[in-house]
Amino acid sequence: MWLTSKIKQLFVVTKPGTVTLAYPFAPRPVPENFRGQPYWDHHKCIGCGGCANHCPARTILVRDLCNEIRVMVYDGSRCTYCGRCADLCPEKAITMTPQYELATNDKRDVNETMELFMLTCQRCGRCFDHEIKNAIDRLTYLGYRYDNLEVRAVIPVSTQVFDKDMYEKTMTYKRPGKIGE
Amino acid sequence: MPSIDQIKSELTARFKGALKGFDTPLPTRLFVDVDKNSVRSMCNVVVGMGARYLVSIGYDNIARDNTLGLVHTFSFDNDNVFCCVRTKVTADNPVCDSITPDIPNAGWSEREYMDLLGMKFEGHPKPKRLILADDWPAGIYPLRKEVPWNLMPPAAEDVAYQLDEAPEGCTTVPIGPFHPTLHEPAHFAVYVDGETIKGCDYRGFMTHRGIEKLCTTQVTYNEVPFIAERICGICGSVHATSYSQAVELAAGITISRKAEYIRTFMLELERIHSHLLWLGVAGHLIGFDTVFMHSWRVREPVMWLAEKITGNRKTYGMIIIGGVRRDILQHKDDILNVMNTVEKELIAIKNAIVGDTVIHRRTKGVGYVSTEDTVKWSLVGPVARARGVNIDTRRDHPYAAYDAVKFDVPVVDTCDVWGTLLVRILETFESIKIIRQVLNDMPVDEPLLYEFDEPIKPLIHSITAVEAPRGEVVHYLITGEENRADRWRVRAPTYPNLQGVPLMLLNNQLADAPIIIGSIDPCFSCTDRMALVDLTTGKHEVLTGEQLEKLSRSKKG
Repeated sequence: MWLTSKIKQLFVVTKPGTVTLAYPFAPRPVPENFRGQPYWDHHKCIGCGGCANHCPARTILVRDLCNEIRVMVYDGSRCTYCGRCADLCPEKAITMTPQYELATNDKRDVNETMELFMLTCQRCGRCFDHEIKNAIDRLTYLGYRYDNLEVRAVIPVSTQVFDKDMYEKTMTYKRPGKIGE
Repeated sequence: MPSIDQIKSELTARFKGALKGFDTPLPTRLFVDVDKNSVRSMCNVVVGMGARYLVSIGYDNIARDNTLGLVHTFSFDNDNVFCCVRTKVTADNPVCDSITPDIPNAGWSEREYMDLLGMKFEGHPKPKRLILADDWPAGIYPLRKEVPWNLMPPAAEDVAYQLDEAPEGCTTVPIGPFHPTLHEPAHFAVYVDGETIKGCDYRGFMTHRGIEKLCTTQVTYNEVPFIAERICGICGSVHATSYSQAVELAAGITISRKAEYIRTFMLELERIHSHLLWLGVAGHLIGFDTVFMHSWRVREPVMWLAEKITGNRKTYGMIIIGGVRRDILQHKDDILNVMNTVEKELIAIKNAIVGDTVIHRRTKGVGYVSTEDTVKWSLVGPVARARGVNIDTRRDHPYAAYDAVKFDVPVVDTCDVWGTLLVRILETFESIKIIRQVLNDMPVDEPLLYEFDEPIKPLIHSITAVEAPRGEVVHYLITGEENRADRWRVRAPTYPNLQGVPLMLLNNQLADAPIIIGSIDPCFSCTDRMALVDLTTGKHEVLTGEQLEKLSRSKKG
């Protein structure tokens, strides 16, 4: 029993030969439809904010700098490459590239920032789709909450309102004992 | 064999005054509202009728009626019924009877709500901290709505979890955190008498990420499937499917048949690669690296197939609320080819190892738990099926397209680690069978996604279970306002199974601890570091690898 098993194992082991890929030395092409680093085409983007609204990692930020300029920031450092933004983009401005070798020592290498010039009405001089019906305002109707990129630059302590008394209790609470006490 | 009406009449007859009402949104779901004083006796009655305990759900309802809610969920496996016993306690005096003395598996759930919601359970045998870090301040309950999701109280030094006292004459051997058997940090204090294990205490949840809190405060329904997928690196689709089904049930969405078939396919593909991965890891843990190398070699084409179909080898991102994102039919030939290869190779590996006496000696009779204890502790998945408990959510509570495919549920009664190995190999063949049926029977021209525009009504409860490779995943969802869930509870299969580990370890050899802990398929790593604790003096020292090697070779001390 033992010996026959070992002989069978020998066949299992010898039959496949070498299966290891020479990956870092030889390129490893990815299949079609691979979800690699997303790429924004600023010629196509209309700044609707749909990608920001549907990003599970909340890694896309939409802000208006002024009446005419809308900034879109994609922070690749915590992108999960789900490709939801590319699915939903009405203008197909986002594509998931086959690029997957994204290791870098500077986070900014994987970020992308776009400044979009928003067209203004020739009569009143304001942006189309501004005021209350602004795309950014509409985001919040659907439950979208900003994750503030400026705050995230430092380790968050607390960014929301919290009962102060309760927080002060944390300073004086009785901690569990030390080992061996 | 109680039907839903029989359960109702039985409960009505026995709890006239305490019973507040029934809710049956579906013929397979029964919600019972009961007074908090009768919870324990009602749970006993439900278990007496043949139900299996799943999980408890606690939720914060303070803003609405100043109460904390508590739901104990049970499954009638023969009748496809989920029975949820709901109760509430006032926030000022959140005391409730513990059901742990009768249903031991509820121990962790109740400890969880002591930590996260500040509930108190009378009669709990081990009311210790479970989820929260040891230095988390008392009196702050993170799952309450008033606590922000990103609160970070100041850290404290020199705080430690007080382990259970070792039985007399036993020495403590700490396993972990970051030790032999676990990728993820988890700490087992194993009490040994010589080489024999006499007991064990567990301290885990060191990487508690607060996903449930995050998903009920920061993102909306639609984004959660992708976050749910990241609960587990191996069985991601399981959580995404389960969550999506829960939302679909609550909102009353019916997805297309094709989408259901594709979900079935994704779940089975995941099962194949997960079982092959486990087989490899199990081989590695008992020092049989040939199995490790070659089951992973067989697994690799499955991963490439997933990459081709979904765009990534893991975290597929296929499943969203209302359906799936991509079609699989254009890859039909590829899938069949890969399945044929995997089947052929796996038969070869199976034949090569089932007769191997080396594996028999390491696994047979190891981690023995009797069938009665398995039922009592509500263990799930291959761990239960290896111990003669015939449960499988795919068959008992059909979801997706499992009602249309034919498959067997392998059950063995060796009650040991060998049984789990056998069950997992046999299940892999069943998965291949299911995938072939899916490709044959799948409708071609149906939409992948169901569009749904109306807002989902708040405060609807729904529960779903999905059979993950490791066992049964349970998701409980309470819908809320603002397009996000009010409460979402995830119970992964390791949650009940890990509670059974002390039972499995009992009276086994210390050297078998890795494979026993491994047999429930948590995650594993190979860090080697050991600390000796002398219980009589309380002195402890940490050995380096060299010291340990020297000590082991000298056969002394």
